[in-house]
Amino acid sequence: MSQIELDVRNLNVSFSTPHGNFSAVNGINFQLHSGETLALVGESGCGKTVTALSILRLLPEASAKFISGKIIYSGRDLLGLSSQQMRKVRGKEISMIFQDPMTCLNPVLTLGEQLSETLLQHNNLNKKEALSKSAQLLGRVELSSPEEKLKQYPHQLSGGMRQRVMIAMALACEPKILIADEPTTALDVLIQAQILELLENLKKETGMAMLLITHDLGVVAEIAERVMVMYAGDEVETGPTQSLLKNPNHPYTKGLIASRPQPGLNIKKDLRLPEITGNVPSPNQRPSGCPFHPRCNWVMDQCKTQKPISKKSNHDHQYSCHLEPGSL
Amino acid sequence: MTDNSFLEVRDLKKYFPPRESFFGNTAGSVRAVDGISFELEEGETLGIVGESGSGKSTAARTLLQLEPPTSGTVHFKGHNLTALSEEKLRSLRKEMQMIFQDPFSSINPRRRIGDVLREPFAIHNLKENVAESIKELLNQVGLSSDHAHRYPHELSGGQLQRVGIARAIALNPSLVIADEPVSALDVSVQAQVVNLMMDLKEKLKISYIFISHDMSIVEYFCDRVAVMYLGKIVEISTSEEIYRTPGHPYTEALLNAVPGLEPEQKKQKIKIRGDIPDPSNPPQGCSFHTRCPLKEKRCEEMEPILKEVSPGHHVACFLKE
Repeated sequence: MSQIELDVRNLNVSFSTPHGNFSAVNGINFQLHSGETLALVGESGCGKTVTALSILRLLPEASAKFISGKIIYSGRDLLGLSSQQMRKVRGKEISMIFQDPMTCLNPVLTLGEQLSETLLQHNNLNKKEALSKSAQLLGRVELSSPEEKLKQYPHQLSGGMRQRVMIAMALACEPKILIADEPTTALDVLIQAQILELLENLKKETGMAMLLITHDLGVVAEIAERVMVMYAGDEVETGPTQSLLKNPNHPYTKGLIASRPQPGLNIKKDLRLPEITGNVPSPNQRPSGCPFHPRCNWVMDQCKTQKPISKKSNHDHQYSCHLEPGSL
Repeated sequence: MTDNSFLEVRDLKKYFPPRESFFGNTAGSVRAVDGISFELEEGETLGIVGESGSGKSTAARTLLQLEPPTSGTVHFKGHNLTALSEEKLRSLRKEMQMIFQDPFSSINPRRRIGDVLREPFAIHNLKENVAESIKELLNQVGLSSDHAHRYPHELSGGQLQRVGIARAIALNPSLVIADEPVSALDVSVQAQVVNLMMDLKEKLKISYIFISHDMSIVEYFCDRVAVMYLGKIVEISTSEEIYRTPGHPYTEALLNAVPGLEPEQKKQKIKIRGDIPDPSNPPQGCSFHTRCPLKEKRCEEMEPILKEVSPGHHVACFLKE
C-alpha cells in the first residue's frame, strides 16, 4: 500500500445557527494515499463540500463552531495549526479548485495578476519570474497563446477556459493534494470530458493525490480509483470504484447508480427511470436510526431505531447498513 | 405547408446586431440561430442538444416569439406565430409554455409558491376555482398543498423545479419547451424530475421540446433529436437511430463525452479539442471544421447542407454523402 498522504479521523462538523446547532458531518474517516484519486459522492447537502472546506480550514470560524476529530497531513493535525501555519499549507501543499469558475476568479484582475499572486505568496520569486512561471502554467493546462492570456480578464474566456485557469492556479505551487469540488458540474459534457482528461494527465505527471467531490457517478467512474459515498453527513459505503459500481452493498449506492441513465442502452420508452424517491433530510430534521431509512426500499424495523455500524462486505467495501453483505 | 401540422418551423433565423464597442470597432452580427427547420407532431418529444453557445436556448425563445425572429416562420396549430398581433399571441401563449434551467433564478424568491402559481391564471384573467386548481397542480407535480404557503428558499432544487413545472402546466398547454430543466440538479433528482415530466406527458397530452447538453437524458426522454452547432441543425433523426448510427462527428463526440459507468467498454473515442467558435465570426465552410478530427480540404471551403441519409435521418456532413 502506498503512503498515506491525508488521514481524516472521526471528523465532526456542526454549525450553530439561530435555529439551534446541527451537524453537517458525523464522524467520517478516510485516508487519501499518495497518487490516488478518491471521490466523495452524494447529493447536495450530504456534507461533501463541508468536509473539503474543513480540510483546508476555510469554514467561517464564527458559524462552524464545532469541528472535532483529526486531519493528519505529514505528521501534523491540520486542525491544531495556527492560522499562520495553515496559510503555508493552503495553496502550497493542499490546494483546491471550486465548482463555478465564473465566480471564483476575480473579474477586475488580469489572469497574470491572479496567477502570480499564489506564486509570490509561497515562493521566492520576483514579479517577472512569477509572470513567466504563470505563462508556463497556462501552457500546462493546454491553453493556447499563454503570454497573451496573462493580460486578459476572466470575462474574455469561456467557462471551460476559466476552469483551466483555476486548475493552473491550484497547481502553481505543485501541491501534494488537490481538492476538486465539483470541477465540471457547471460545464457542458464536451468540456467536462476535456477537463477530466486534463486532471487525469496532470495527476499522472505530478504524482499528486486528488480528492474529487461530485454528485455524478459517471464522473467518478472516469477518473477515481476509490469512492466514498456520503449521505446526510454520514459515510455510507467506501470501496474501489469499479467494484463498488458493480456490487453496491448499500441501497443508497445502488439507487445512485441506477438513476444515472446509460447512453446506448436502448431503454424502452415506456419505462420510468429508476429514482430514489423523496429528498435528503434537512440537517435539523435527521431521521432516527439509519438516516436513509425513510427513502429506502429495503427498510426493516431495526433501521428505524438503530443506526447501523460500518462493516465489511464480500468485495472489500466498508458499508453502513443493517442488510447482510450481498443482499442487494 | 400543411394546415394540420402541430408545430412547423421553417428557416428560422435570429441575428443579434453587432454592438458598437466603446472604441468604435464593430464585430459581425451574432448569428445565434441561423436557419433552422423542423416539425413536431402532436404528442411527440423533440430533443435539441448542443453545447453552450450553439443557439439552443435562443432557438426556443425565438420559436415562442419571446425574441422577435430575424426571418423565418413558425406555424403552431395552423397559426403563423410570426405574423400574429400581440393580443392574439398572448391568448395563444396559454398553449405554449416554458420550463427554465435554474428554478432558483426563474422563480421570484419574494413570493410564496401559491402566488407564483396564481400568476398564470391572473395574466389570462381566469378567476374561477383558482385556489382549487393550484392545489391540484401541486399534487400533480408531487408536492403537497402546504407548499403553497412556503417561500422558494424553503424548498430544495428538485422541489422548486417541480414548482417550475407546475407553473408551466397550469393552463393546460399543448406544447412545453423545457430549457435544460435538469442540468442544475443532482443526478438522483434529475431522474425524479424526468419521470415527472414523462408522467405529465401521458396524463396531459403534452408535446415537449427538451433542450439539453446531456445525451444520456435526451436518449431516454425524446422520440427525435436535433443536434445544433453554431446556430444550425447538423443532424436530426429519431433517438434510436442517432444513438445507433450517429452521422455527424459532432454528434459522436457529444455521445462519447457522456461519462459512462463502465469506461473500459468505451469504443474508440472521437475527441474534440477547444471551444465552440465565436458565433459573430463563424468559420468558413463547415462551421465544425475547426474542431473536427475527420476534416478534409473541402470542409474548409464549402458548407455541407442537411441531407437525408436514411428515412427521417438528416445529416449535414460531407463524409456522409
